[in-house]
Amino acid sequence: MLTPPLSIVRRSVSCFLLGALAVGALVASGCRRPVNPNHIVIWHQMRVDERVILEAQLKRFMDQNPGITAEAIYKETEELRSGFIVAAIAGQGPDLVYGPSDQVGPFEVMGIIAPLESLFDPKYLDNVIPKGLTYFKGHLYQIADKVGNHLTLVYNKALVQTPPETDVELIEIGKRLTVDKDGDGKPDQYGLCWNYTEPFFFIPFLTGFGGWVMTDDGVPTLDSEGMIRALEFIRDLRDRYKIIPSEADYNIADALFKDGKSAMIINGDWSWAGYKKAGIDIGVAPLPKIVSTGLWCAPMVSPKGFSLNANVPEEKRPIVLTLLRFLMEPEQQLETARALSTMPTRKEALNSAFVRNDEILRNSALQIERGKPMPVVPELRAIWDAMRPGYQAVLGGSKTPRQAAKEMQALALRKIQEMNE
Amino acid sequence: MTNRIQHKLFVTFLVVPSFLILFAVVFYPFVYNVVISFSNMNLRHIKDWTIIGPQQYIKVFTEPTQPDFYTIFAKTIVWTVVNVFFHVVIGVFLALVLNQKDVKAKPLFRTLLILPWAIPQYIVALTWRGMFNYEYGALNLIITKYMHLPAVEWLKSPTEAFIGCILTNVWLGFPFMMVIALGALQSIPHELYEAADIDGASWWHKLWRITIPLIRPVMIPAITLGTVWTFNNLNIVWLVSNGGEPSDQTHILVSFVYKAAFNLYRYGYAAALSMVIFIILLGFSLFFMKRTRATEAAY
Repeated sequence: MLTPPLSIVRRSVSCFLLGALAVGALVASGCRRPVNPNHIVIWHQMRVDERVILEAQLKRFMDQNPGITAEAIYKETEELRSGFIVAAIAGQGPDLVYGPSDQVGPFEVMGIIAPLESLFDPKYLDNVIPKGLTYFKGHLYQIADKVGNHLTLVYNKALVQTPPETDVELIEIGKRLTVDKDGDGKPDQYGLCWNYTEPFFFIPFLTGFGGWVMTDDGVPTLDSEGMIRALEFIRDLRDRYKIIPSEADYNIADALFKDGKSAMIINGDWSWAGYKKAGIDIGVAPLPKIVSTGLWCAPMVSPKGFSLNANVPEEKRPIVLTLLRFLMEPEQQLETARALSTMPTRKEALNSAFVRNDEILRNSALQIERGKPMPVVPELRAIWDAMRPGYQAVLGGSKTPRQAAKEMQALALRKIQEMNE
Repeated sequence: MTNRIQHKLFVTFLVVPSFLILFAVVFYPFVYNVVISFSNMNLRHIKDWTIIGPQQYIKVFTEPTQPDFYTIFAKTIVWTVVNVFFHVVIGVFLALVLNQKDVKAKPLFRTLLILPWAIPQYIVALTWRGMFNYEYGALNLIITKYMHLPAVEWLKSPTEAFIGCILTNVWLGFPFMMVIALGALQSIPHELYEAADIDGASWWHKLWRITIPLIRPVMIPAITLGTVWTFNNLNIVWLVSNGGEPSDQTHILVSFVYKAAFNLYRYGYAAALSMVIFIILLGFSLFFMKRTRATEAAY
């Protein structure tokens, strides 16, 4: 066997030890970047059109506040969530993290965001609508600049003159507008479509039939009559009334509506600007009422806003809050509302003539009023995960709604237990 | 300072940066992963986690997840074997074709065939997902319009969705094997074929007696790498099946780990499962390299 000379072994060992020492020193120092007290970093998951506005607002902020720089970094929602957890646990991360309110629950449990109530004057907070302030376990953890993130019925005005107000009307209009133009036995235009791979889009039907995802204590309530009837209803829309495509994820549903191949779509406030840009004359209406229950289809409503990283040092917080206050100003919120039809959270902006007179925003406000607040507890994550297989199995025809509801509940309970063990 | 010491210092100076990088990006994360695999780190214990022994490993093998570890493991083996088999067969076949003297416009074909490899995986996966749509996807349009067969529910049925993931990855993976095989083929001395021609060897004989034995030392490490990459290929399964859909039936081990860690915050469990994957792959690589004597010289 070939044995390496002793000198090489020694040299390797010394290099190894030196490396270990250097890494040890690096780790001991916490690998921390020096904090720049005048540079503010925001991580967000805003889509492109929102980002453009944010960038312009940050530029204005920097012009007004010489010496302070602000940087916005985009991350996809899931990447932002996991990235922020990893960074904040290591004592790093952005100063502000922006996103929907359901991220507050896990972040609070992990202790990586700071309570905000003591940092703001109560009078200031009074100027923000209650739905824009996300409290969890008695503390304020998020201040929203937009409220909604909610689903509505979006319709193509060229095809639908009056949007349906009930499920019966929805089916009737849907049947009329599902058309096989070329006679090949397959519809070329559907009455309605939405993304039916994601349970978030199923919530309005669940609430319409009297169901909900969990109790106030975070216990899942998926095995309910409401769930069974809602699943049956969706299956009927596809297989009995044949007014929706047999398969549609978000992109397919979006493309169908943009191409004029679907008269109506269930989609959120984030999609409206894109449809207008695609040249569709859209109308936005609240989701219909289910006649048999007398309940409105209620989507989940959640604010989208800013949380403060718990690692931001005390001395830096004042300038971070200066930026936060700037971004929350009614003018900035109205700028976004005008461009993207988003719902502001400052009372002054909400009472402006523009918001009161805009047809889309009026209907959006009505839908928000009828919606149900999205729970912010971390257990919601397990519930989504437990709903997905059953929901998809019913649509795939491999399970009955009753079986699926039972399995969803059992799976949700187990996943919550796993999460909390 | 003597020259000898100066030389030693110089060598140390050159070697330390690479050691530092290795420590930071391989050694430290690996050890950290081993440690948390024995801990209870999760959503509720992310800062105050403690060592709890091998419980997470026991959970990996015994927890009644849907699907369970053994089903996902079996699926991962099918995924890896089928993918690597087609990557190698298609790759070597195309390399043999491109290596023929009388093929015209070789650079053009080579470029076209490498294209799948050059496109970002994210784009490839989402494009294929669109092509698998029941009503509007290109595949079903071809199947129903031109082949007059019933449309396939690519994304709704577990088996078809899994086949869809495999199809995408086969398309994505063969160029790598083709490039490697082509390089190996071009290094075979032409005299060997001339001598075989004089002896009256057929094309088949030349393939089995000259070509395959001589490209083997290059292909075996490539197959080993390909196997490890395919076994650990999160992107395609995650994006084509949209996170294991339908009903979590298209997971392979690595996508299951991803879900446990980043969707359900079960860091300890995910770390234990990733250690199990590491041990499986390490065992496979050592066994495969030894059995195939890949490190021995060809000539």
